[in-house]
Amino acid sequence: MGNDKKLSCGPCASKGLCGGKGLATLKDGAWTSNPLAIQVLGICSALAVTTKLENSIVMGCALIFVCVGSNVVVSILRKCTPHRIRMVAEVAIIATFVILFDQFLKAFYWDMSKQLGPYVGLIITNCIVMGRAEAFALQNPPLLSAIDGLANGIGYAVALALIGALREALGTGAIMGYTVLSTSWYTPNQLMVMAPGAFFMLGVIIAIFNALKGPEDEAEQK
Amino acid sequence: MKSNLGTLLYAAVLGTVCALLLTASAEFTRPYQDANQRAEEIRKVLSTLNVPVEEGASAMALLKVFEESVKLEQRDERDIYTYVSSDVADQVLAVAVQFSGPGLWGPITGFVALEPDLQTIRGVTIIKQEETPGLGGEIATEPFCAQFVGKATKNASGRVGIAINGTGGELADTQVNAITGATITCDKLQAIINEALAVILEENQ
Repeated sequence: MGNDKKLSCGPCASKGLCGGKGLATLKDGAWTSNPLAIQVLGICSALAVTTKLENSIVMGCALIFVCVGSNVVVSILRKCTPHRIRMVAEVAIIATFVILFDQFLKAFYWDMSKQLGPYVGLIITNCIVMGRAEAFALQNPPLLSAIDGLANGIGYAVALALIGALREALGTGAIMGYTVLSTSWYTPNQLMVMAPGAFFMLGVIIAIFNALKGPEDEAEQK
Repeated sequence: MKSNLGTLLYAAVLGTVCALLLTASAEFTRPYQDANQRAEEIRKVLSTLNVPVEEGASAMALLKVFEESVKLEQRDERDIYTYVSSDVADQVLAVAVQFSGPGLWGPITGFVALEPDLQTIRGVTIIKQEETPGLGGEIATEPFCAQFVGKATKNASGRVGIAINGTGGELADTQVNAITGATITCDKLQAIINEALAVILEENQ
């Protein structure tokens, strides 16, 4: 975190609600170590639900909710959680948030819930959520953990939405009912809606992220 | 020993809190989830009965159409849905009966709709099934269900029931093609449907 100073939130840095690390954490989660495009975590759900932009957005929201919620609770409990059963406790907390969201979807967005099928429930095993709880929330105060959860959630959601939008556009010629690629000159490519299309799109997104981020990361690693 | 106790206590408290939270949310959302489930069922009934419904209609709108044009009665513990015309009083446009029974792996539930004279099948819809995916599971697909449309409920000698045992050749009026590799599922589905047909036809004779 060599560029902490540049990113510290100015006036808030000294008072230290989040120790001045808020912005750095936000950038780190959403951009420099984007869970989907840089760390390539949680791609199972990312490949399965991104056939449409709408589904991708709902899935992204679900992950943001779960990630923030579980990070905060894990962080609050971090000092009294027995080390030996910390992972069991994390899974219990994550599962609670996931099921809450699932029930909310089933009650108020039935069609969406049916389209996402088991993938909302499978967030419980999503490595991003578990990873953030284990790697970040256990060591950091609640507010910072919330920011970290939000950052990673946003990082996942944005990458997911990009994949979803591109797949829907190339696969059906329309995004959320609005025609973007007219069928008069564009033939919808069914491949994009099917599973292999997701792999291609994910590859493209990872390439774009890496190109934008530049090669500095590799230099750091050496 | 002391730390073991602490660990156990922590696990118990955390477990209880999580369970309470989930129970509360389940209780809170149950009416909405039930309504959605009901709407789903109504959508299937309406489509089996061929009741015109606006595409993408909300659960409330569906319920309204259902209440206006479909009469529900119970007979032999079976739900029987009658599609009555809204213009002419007492004019029956179609009748549907719910069927359910054991399949190969789990229960099969669905509807069979008949023309008002009860001689011809208007449609069959499968709501729930747990048959082998790709084999018996095909009973829930459109091509399989579409076979039933227009089939007779009685054969020439007056015996009630359809047969799911066609082999791709010529089919009798009461026969549809079976699914290769899903003989047991087809036999069981045939028995379940015929049971429902018997109830609805015998009552009306």
